[in-house]
This record gives sequence, C-alpha cells and structure tokens, in this order.
Amino acid sequence: MRPTENINIRFPKNLQEALRLQAKAGTRGQLLAGGTDLMVQWVSGTPPPRRATSVWNLPELCEIEVRDKDILIGAGVTHAFLVDATPIHRHLPALVAAAGTVGAAQIQARGTLGGNVANASPAGDTAPALLVTDGTVLLASLGGIREVPLTQFWTGYRQIDARPDEIIQAFRLPKKGAARERFRKIGTRKAQAISKIMAASRIRVRKGQIVSAAIALGSIAATPVRLTQVEDFLAGKPLTAKLITDAEQLAQKTVQPIADIRSTAEYRRWVTGRLVRDALENL
Amino acid sequence: MSKAASQPRRLVGHGMIRVDADGKVRGQTRYLNDIRYRNVWHGVVVRSPVARGRFKALTLDPAFDWSRVVVATAEDIPGENVVHMHDRTMPLLGEVGGELLYRGEPVAVVAAKTLKLATEAAGHIRVEVEELPPLLTLQETVDIFKKTPKRFVSMQDKNIVKGDLAKGFAEADEILEAEYWAGHQEQLYIENQGIVVFPQKDGSILAEGSLQCPYFPVNELNDPLQLPPEKIRVRQTPVGGAFGGKEEYPTMLVGYAALPALKSGRPVKITYERHEDILFTPKRHPVWVRYKTGFKKDGTLTAIECDYILDGGAYLTISDVVMFRGILHCALAYRCDNVVIRGRVARTNSMPSGAFRGFGAPQAIWGIESHMDAIAARLGMTPHALRRKLHARAGDTTPTGQVLSKENGATECLNLALERSQFAQKLRQSSRGKLRKGQSKYYGAGLSFFAHGAAFTGDGEAKFQAKGRVELARLEDGRPGVNIRVSSTEMGQGVHTIFTQIAADAFSLDPARIRYPMADTGLVPDSGPTVASRTTMVVGNIVHRASLDLKAQMEAFASLHFFRGEKARLENSQFHAEGRKPLPFGRVAGKMLDELGEASGFFQFKLPADIRWDQDRFRGDSYPGYSWAAHIAEVEIDPITCELEVTRVTAVIDVGRIINPILAAGQVEGGLTQALGYAVMEKMATGKDGLYDASRLQTYIIPTALDTPAYDIQFVEYPYSFAPPGGKGLGELPMDGLAPAIANAVEAAIGKRLRTIPITPESIFDALHDPSGATP
Repeated sequence: MRPTENINIRFPKNLQEALRLQAKAGTRGQLLAGGTDLMVQWVSGTPPPRRATSVWNLPELCEIEVRDKDILIGAGVTHAFLVDATPIHRHLPALVAAAGTVGAAQIQARGTLGGNVANASPAGDTAPALLVTDGTVLLASLGGIREVPLTQFWTGYRQIDARPDEIIQAFRLPKKGAARERFRKIGTRKAQAISKIMAASRIRVRKGQIVSAAIALGSIAATPVRLTQVEDFLAGKPLTAKLITDAEQLAQKTVQPIADIRSTAEYRRWVTGRLVRDALENL
Repeated sequence: MSKAASQPRRLVGHGMIRVDADGKVRGQTRYLNDIRYRNVWHGVVVRSPVARGRFKALTLDPAFDWSRVVVATAEDIPGENVVHMHDRTMPLLGEVGGELLYRGEPVAVVAAKTLKLATEAAGHIRVEVEELPPLLTLQETVDIFKKTPKRFVSMQDKNIVKGDLAKGFAEADEILEAEYWAGHQEQLYIENQGIVVFPQKDGSILAEGSLQCPYFPVNELNDPLQLPPEKIRVRQTPVGGAFGGKEEYPTMLVGYAALPALKSGRPVKITYERHEDILFTPKRHPVWVRYKTGFKKDGTLTAIECDYILDGGAYLTISDVVMFRGILHCALAYRCDNVVIRGRVARTNSMPSGAFRGFGAPQAIWGIESHMDAIAARLGMTPHALRRKLHARAGDTTPTGQVLSKENGATECLNLALERSQFAQKLRQSSRGKLRKGQSKYYGAGLSFFAHGAAFTGDGEAKFQAKGRVELARLEDGRPGVNIRVSSTEMGQGVHTIFTQIAADAFSLDPARIRYPMADTGLVPDSGPTVASRTTMVVGNIVHRASLDLKAQMEAFASLHFFRGEKARLENSQFHAEGRKPLPFGRVAGKMLDELGEASGFFQFKLPADIRWDQDRFRGDSYPGYSWAAHIAEVEIDPITCELEVTRVTAVIDVGRIINPILAAGQVEGGLTQALGYAVMEKMATGKDGLYDASRLQTYIIPTALDTPAYDIQFVEYPYSFAPPGGKGLGELPMDGLAPAIANAVEAAIGKRLRTIPITPESIFDALHDPSGATP
C-alpha cells in the first residue's frame, strides 16, 4: 500500500497560492515537501492526513541568494543542491557537510532543508550546523514575513514556532567570515544513518584569543541544542591547552544527554566533550 | 558449437552468468507479492499481548459485522494442536485455558476479502490473558544456570567428551577461563515472509510462497491439519533472500494460512510487513559460552572445557540441532586430547530462535577464536604462532573422535592468509591503546581460523538419503532439453546456475538446453532442505550422478537407434560414434521422447559405508566433510569518538571444488558483510515488553556498501572426492569467523578485549573507561 494512496494532495503553482490553501486549511494544513520524513512516518504508525499541500519545487522556495553578510537559502532547496552549490561552500561549510550526511544520495536528492527543519527531529542532520550560524527562519503567511531566530525555533520535541497558516520560506544565515566551522556526525553506520550524536561549531579566533564560539549538538536532547555555557566560558579567553581541557570537562558536566536505542547517555556525555576538544584543536 | 569437438567444454570452474540474472535484473521476476491472485483472501495473525500468561478467553466484539470475515482459532484445528518440528511442544495456535509463552504467540487467524478488512477485524478480537512473570533474556537464564543450576530449564542437553578432562587440567601449566556473549541477529532478507494456501476440492491444500525447504510443511503439518504428506503440496515462488529465515518458519505460516483457508474454502494469503516480520519471525540464537582451558608453556592445549548455552525462545522448534552444530564447532579446529563440551538450549519467554546462516557455528567460533587469542596473550605468543602450532590437520582427531581426511586445506588457508595480509608485520604495527607515530587512529589486525562442517550433522545424510532426478523434456521452445528436478531452492545463492553447470558438464551439453524449474513437491523428489551448506556438496552430487545416469541411457538409445550398435558418446551436445557423422543432441533426445514418452536419470545420495556416528554419545564422524578458512581483519578506531571501521578483510577459504568462482566470491563477500554487521552493528535484544527492541529498519542497523571493507578473497581447493564434482559447502562459512577476527583486531588496537558482540562505539568507550581495565 502506498502511503499517499488515500491523501488528496494539492499542487499550488506558487507560494501565494500555497499560503491561501494553508490559511483555509487551518490546523489540518499538512505541508509536504520532499516527503522523505513524512512518507516513512505514514507507514509506521502515524496516520496519514486526508489532504496535504505540496510545496515541492515552489519557485519562491528554491532560491539561494548570496548577499554581503548573509545567505538566503530557500526552504525548498534540497540537500543535494546544497552539496553542489559551490558558491556557498566557503561561507557555510558545516551546513554543506551536514547536508552531505543526510540519508543517502536518493534522500539528499529529495529531502529539503525546510523539511529537515520543520520535521523538528532532534536528529535532524542540518540542525546543529544551522544553529551555529545564529541565523533566522523566514516564515511566510498571507500577513507577510515573520523572522524567528533558529535558536528559538525548536520549542520542544518535534515542535516548532510556526502557526498553521505559515510556511517556511527561507533561512537567513550569516556567513562565517573569519570563523572556523566544523561538523561531525557520529552515525550508526556510514550512510542511511540516524546519528548517535552530531556536533557543529563556528569559532572565531584572533591573535590566539577566542572572539566568539558557537557550538551545537544534535541527537542529544529533545531538540537540537547550543552549548551556551561552554560558549560563554570560551568567549574572550586565550586558546590554550588548559582551556581546551576545561571546555571539554565543562561540556561533559553541563550537557544533559538522553539514552535511547541508538546510544547511551554515558557515551553521549563523554563524546560531547571529545567533540568540543576536537573543534578547539582544529582551529 | 565448439571447434575442438574432441575437447569437451567444461563449465565447472568458470564464472558462468547466472541463469536467473536476466529476469531479476530487469525486474521481471515475479515474487509472491507481484503475483496477482484472483479471489484470494488476506490473512492477519492475532497474537498474544503478553510475554507469558494464562489464556482466559478470546472474545469477538459483538458490535462488529463478522459475516464478511472468517476467524480461525485453535478450535478450528482439524487434528492435534501441534507443529511437529523437533519435538511436539509447540501448538499451532495458543489455546484458551493453556499458557501463552511469548509475546506475539499466534492465537487466531482472521481472513477477509481485503487486508484492510482483515486488519480491522483483528482489532475487534480481545485476547484476555492473566499475566504471569516472564523470563525474557539469556542473561537471566545464565544467572540461574550459574547460581541455581537445578532451576535452569534446558529444552535439550548434549555433551561431547573426549579423553580425560581432569588429567588435562592436571597437566596444564596455566588455566584460563572466560565468557563470551552474542545477541540476536535478524536475517533481513529483502522479501518478507509470505505464503498463499489454496484449499483443493479433495480436501488437500496447495501452498505457494517464499521458502527454502518445500518439504518441511509437507511433513510437519500432518497432525494438526489431518492431511497425509501427499495431500500437502508446496510450491516455491522466487525467493528474495532467506539466510535460514525461511527454513522452519514458513511451515508455521502455511499452518496459519491453512486454517482459515480450510474453514472458508477460500485461498488465503499471509504476507508480513517489515515490522511484523522483524518482530515475529525467528532470529539467530543469542549465546553465552564459557571456556576453561588448560595449556602448557609451549602452547600445547591440554584441556578444553566449554559450556555453550543458546537462547531457544519459548519452544524448541529446531534449536536442538542448532545447539548440536554449535557444540561440534566449539573446539573443532585445534589439537587437544581432553575435551568436554556441554550444550544447552535455554527456554525464555520470547519468539523461538531459529535458523540463520551458520546455525550455531558462528556463536561457537566467536567464543573459541576470541579465547585462542586470549590464550596466546597469556603465553606471550603471537596469535598466529599459537594457531600454527595447534591447528587441526589431516590425520588429527576431532572432539567426537573423527579422524580428519586428507581433503583438508587447513594449513594452506592459515599460511596463505598470513602471507597475503602480511599479518605478522601488521600485528607489530597495531596500536595496543597508544597511537604510534603517524597514526591518527588506533590500528589493529586480528586473526581467526576455523572449520565448518558441511551437510547434515552426524549420520543425517546417511539417514535422509536425499534423492533427485533429471528428466528429458521439451522446453518452452518445443525442442528437447533437460529439467533438473530437486527440491533445492534458489534463494540468491546461485544454485540454479551451478546445478546447470554441473549437469551441463556431466552430460557435455549446452547449458541453454538445461532448465531448473522452481521446486514443487508435487513434481520433485525430496533432495532435502536447502540448508546446512549441503546443497552443492550433496545435491550437486545427485545432479551430477543423475545426469550421468540419463546420459548413459541416451547413449545406449543413440547407439541402438542411430549407430547400429556402435558405441555412442555424448560430447559437446552431439552424439558421436566411431566412423559416423555426429548427431545433434536434439535429434536423439526428440526420438527418445517420441518413442518412450519420458526418460530420466535418478540418484539417491549415500555416504561412504564406513561412516560411524553415535547420536546418543555424540561420538564418531560428525560431518561428511569440512571446509576451512582463515580470516584477517584490520580495524581503525577513532580516538575522538570510539567509532570503529573495519578497513580490510583477508579471507582464504577451502570449500573444495569451486563450481563458479564469481558466484562463490560473491557469496563470500555477502556472508562476510553479514558477519561484519553481526560483529559491529546489529544490536537487538528482547525488551521488557517481550518484544525485540530494534524492530524496524530505522533501528536495526545493517552495513551499507560504504561500511564494507576492502576484501581480499582467495580460494584453495581440496575437493571432496567422494561426491563429485567435490564441493564441500560454502553457504554458511563466510558468516562464521569474521566477528572474532574483528574482536581480536580491536584488542590489538586498543589493548582491551571485548567479549560481547556487537562491538559498538559505546562498548569500546565502556571498555576504555572500565576502571578494572583487566584483559586476560
């Protein structure tokens, strides 16, 4: 049985039409982009909705615009497109690396950045890399655009700060500038893997001194999280071996990892520190 | 036709393209769920909601319209409520008043015109159970075994005794004892389980589906269905993988589908979705194995004492034989005069464990091959020096007293694997917990060496007397050819191709004139189940001999009818006789079919007359032949994350005569990859709710192509000369010995021995942070 067999799917031609459909549908307005998460959920317990609105390939959602300080990435951009979009690579290397670890080639070709964020899984591969940019989500509705910081967008386990009538149109992501980024995903295997833990970092060092540090983790709590205590600890300090060790220990002390089928809390706690060390040792 | 007519073409030993490749590559092969059956009802199994409980009542919701569905319960079983596998304890369906022994135990089968309706109806059946405390895991039973052995429930015991154990320990300079654990493993065939049962007008049934042993349902459902074997006919549909998972289980599925089919008079089909398939079909048996070994300073093994306990689940099914194969492999590959091995099958309240490639041997070899490295470490010897000294070879006596024959590549496998992998040098480069110069990851190399007994255990083949036939027939183009009629099933391993090669060589006939139709118990003699690495060795010999039989008949016919009594011989698809123009195969075969109506060759397999086996004492010749192998695994472990990567595997293997080197290498790569998953990824346990905790592809992790190492696979050939063409059994062996090679490599990399598989980043982390830090 195909999961979409009994779903009435509408295919609006542009964002405006999609927004109108969403406004009318209210809480029943299921959006469908690449379908790589939803199609799986609909055959494994979550009842499929009666109707859905496809935002796949909506022109307004498929654009990437490289600007002076930041980059606008449409929510409908696929992971494969990000991997191939060389002009953004040097500005957002962690995000590109993360997109390249999603599922496998087939899923990357179909899954979208907006879908990955809206699905709001704590294991969403792009989430930590997005979080360290201090970027924002642009939510479109008939009333206009609302801009929400990514750090506030995931409000709980599989919950996002978006109204039923809103559609994620794009992400505004500041370029990394002189900072260094790093991304690591520890999966259960090398492809088609949900992570045990992921870490992304964007750290800027000037003259041996940490100017700013952003470190984010996935698959460790109910939502993707920033290690704000570690970040605050690092900011403004000279980068020394002792600082790295202290940051590693602080990360292990302050992180509150979950235990599930994919890993243990002890391992996640330990490896959190190791990944913080890894980020600081590779600046 | 070939130019050099005097030189018969040989296909055995060549990588002929698979005869079933075209349909499978093009997606034209019709698997069970591709076949459009008309008027078939769909069956849904209703299951026990608890792991253990008294079955109080089964009630149908009075508000539901039951007129459109058929519900079969234990009351609808025509005969005795039992599936007679290796004992008679397992009911076909749980019975009100009785005890339910595992979560998911079938209690009813609902069938309806659509799957949706059947599923809906099943949801309106209430299974009332008074819950009882379950015993869920092997860990719990082993705790009982250690603390209060009298309370330990074993469904089957068997011991192997050789020499004098006490004397062996008395002679030892050192004694080393250790325990090893392994969990469940799921076969994860691509095509899920599925069966359709057609009730016939005469009260018999025809079952069709994805299975590897067509004769099992024929002989195991007679009592419950009150049908003699000739009234249960089973046909194989193309099988999308099995790995043992479609050995004993399809019998149960045929039974489930047969009940509503017989009750309603309608065909009933049951297929599982992946989740149901993982939750409620048998897995590889979890194992606990404890070795206590005595040895001298020079490495001589003086005593091996071994306890080997499998988690059999709630019913025995076939677990006795899995345990037998297990204990026969516990100390098979090494010289030792004093051996005691005790095998047990523990009962737990979980899905009965079942057949899976290797069948108890991987669990045994996991233990002994880890332990051999531990002994070497204790002695300060290298793992390869110890194995070079102790490994069994021709003339040595196994724990059951079998003298190993000369058809034995043990030494060559070991030496060649060491040489090809440069093991001694790689072992010196191993990190042992400290990154060496130039290493960013811990590196380690590990060795395993083992044998696999081919074909049924003991006198199984002697008793079974497998039979097969080849027959002359008109093929679909109307021209004569040969049909191979055996019950061995193609399930991806390539048997249709290699039997075509064997028959083609025996006849000296173009393989395009040879067909191998799907097994159908109405048409094929019982050549036995497709299991136990027996097919090439035993049934391959049957095909060879039956082909020679028919060939001789055809040559006699040709001589009489075409060559005026001149002796004829079939070669390269032509009949030749001295001083005569050769005649094409089809000419002679066509006339033979016209005149005789049919012609066939037949053979019944026999073992050498001098084979000895005592099943009670477990003494004698435990297998007709042995395959041998040495594996070397190389691993890298990331010190930042404890992630483990197996980078290279060298496998040197003696499985006797190689029929098709490309298929053989493919089977080895597949098996090694399955063993890789067993070793480092595939983690599954019975949860507190009685269900497997990893029951979807999302959580049950098997390797992808990216996870596979570089493979160096090499065959050495010591054929089994008693049964030409001389294969010794390849199917299971690649699954047997990679896990301990990897564990040994991990030990070389981090300096700690892990005694539980799978070895995950978490378990490496735990080992590195274990405050005791001991590693004997």
